[in-house]
Amino acid sequence: MSGKSKKITKKVLLYVLLGILALIWIIPIFTLVATSLKHKKDFMSGLSLFQLPAEIAWDNFYNAITKGRLITYMKNDLIVSFLKVPLGIFVGSLAAFSMTRLKIKHSTGVFVFFLIGMMLPMQTALVPINMIYSKLGLLNTYFGLFYVYIGFGLSYCILVMRGFMKGIPGDIDEAAYIDGCNKWQLFYKIIFPIAKPAVATLFITDFLSTWNEYLLASVIINDNGLKTVPVGIMTFVGEHGTDYGYLCAGVLVSVIPVMIVYLVFQRYFVEGMAGAVKS
Amino acid sequence: MKKGKKSNFGAYAFLIPAAVIYLSVIVVPVFYSLFISLFKWNGVSDREFVGLGNYVNLFTNDPTFLIALKNNLIWIVLTICVTMTVSLGFAVILNKQFRGRTVFRAFFYFPCVIAPIAVAIIWRWIYNPNIGFINQFFKAFGINYKQTWISDPKVSLYAIFIAALWQGIGQPMILFLAGLQSVSPDVLEAATIDGAGSVRKFFSVTCPLMKETFVMVIATLIVAAMKVYDVVQGLTGGGPNNSTQMLATYMYSQTFQYNNVGMGTAVACVMVLMMMVVIVPYISFTAKEK
Repeated sequence: MSGKSKKITKKVLLYVLLGILALIWIIPIFTLVATSLKHKKDFMSGLSLFQLPAEIAWDNFYNAITKGRLITYMKNDLIVSFLKVPLGIFVGSLAAFSMTRLKIKHSTGVFVFFLIGMMLPMQTALVPINMIYSKLGLLNTYFGLFYVYIGFGLSYCILVMRGFMKGIPGDIDEAAYIDGCNKWQLFYKIIFPIAKPAVATLFITDFLSTWNEYLLASVIINDNGLKTVPVGIMTFVGEHGTDYGYLCAGVLVSVIPVMIVYLVFQRYFVEGMAGAVKS
Repeated sequence: MKKGKKSNFGAYAFLIPAAVIYLSVIVVPVFYSLFISLFKWNGVSDREFVGLGNYVNLFTNDPTFLIALKNNLIWIVLTICVTMTVSLGFAVILNKQFRGRTVFRAFFYFPCVIAPIAVAIIWRWIYNPNIGFINQFFKAFGINYKQTWISDPKVSLYAIFIAALWQGIGQPMILFLAGLQSVSPDVLEAATIDGAGSVRKFFSVTCPLMKETFVMVIATLIVAAMKVYDVVQGLTGGGPNNSTQMLATYMYSQTFQYNNVGMGTAVACVMVLMMMVVIVPYISFTAKEK
């Protein structure tokens, strides 16, 4: 009896602890939402963060999207991400395929060589990229941006794809060759389709990290019409220094797409990450 | 024989696109940076060769660089001591069997997917001295305490770290969860039979078995700590008075704001050299394990 009640107390304590942690963790989101619902005059009148204003400032959101150009920033980010992610995965998968299933020399060495890029800070390549881009006229272009993104994303992509492809049994290749497949057919008809779970995980994590990238985008793009969301949101904040409600509405709007992607594909994060680790 | 040679060429062809992009985006620019860092240059006029002059200057004659270096080292210590401990704590709690576990996992991981720059901006409102959450919270409870947080040089670095912590626990937490699940229940059972309490079991059985996970978490945390940029840039931009300058932010401001391109690239190269100290042992460790 006492053992059972001890167990229940433990459970209750666990939920209390989790509840407190969750409350602390929600503070930033709460602050963001609570501020975005207020007009400039509400702050002037000294309304507390914890009170609702007399009139909820829905127009903050509308203005942020239209006048604040958030819709343009989102469109740009979407274009860049949807060019970068599939191409990056394709290029990375080809490389991983060659490292794992075609008998190339020094395949571990090649892998390590590609892996180093994951750890290098982007700052090291920033100045040369900027110089070369200004010579080639690639600054302020979508191509310029997603090309460097592919380069910096390649290491992680190869790491995940190589891990997955290593686990696919070699008999499959033998059978395919006997059936008359060449290497390319083996890749796109057999190995790549088998690797779909890895591709799916990669697609989502890669999409989010591309969507969120700030440093490279801030150096390569300075045309307001071409900025991606992170760079755009910094501009937005710079332009509207004290209109807090409006600013928070803008940031909230910029976070919503990510929130939706996360909610829909949530299982890919927690499970997919763990899978990538094990391999 | 001839056929074998031909087919091998085909194998390398699959590497070509990746190699071309990787070489042009990372390898060549990195070496070019090393080269530029040997010059005194403003990005426009002629370069003046100064050898290792930029590096000597950084270490002997540049207090801001030394602040940035110190801040990066503090940041590494903070992430190892705080971020790792907190995320391990979360992983241990969220590894227990209870209803709603997946929801909580997803919830605590969530800040990870927000853009770091947006996180920085959100935390500006938490730290805002007038309308921010913390000071408003104190006010709501009638406590008359005001602190300017990010504009106070003494606390600003730690204030930024809290924002980074909020976002940063997700990734190591997932790694620890995977690690915890790989510890076999039989071993833990055996330890229980031998009379080990749950704390003892955790430190003497679970932790040693997760050695690989710890190495991985520590390595990724150090690499991330060396690179930290977005959250600092978004919250303080290195200020007030350079007190939160990091190598990454300092590199950016030297290069793109003050046009000391040679100096800025030298800072970037120092970052790479420092990271090699972590990367080389890490890669050789993982290669050995396999």
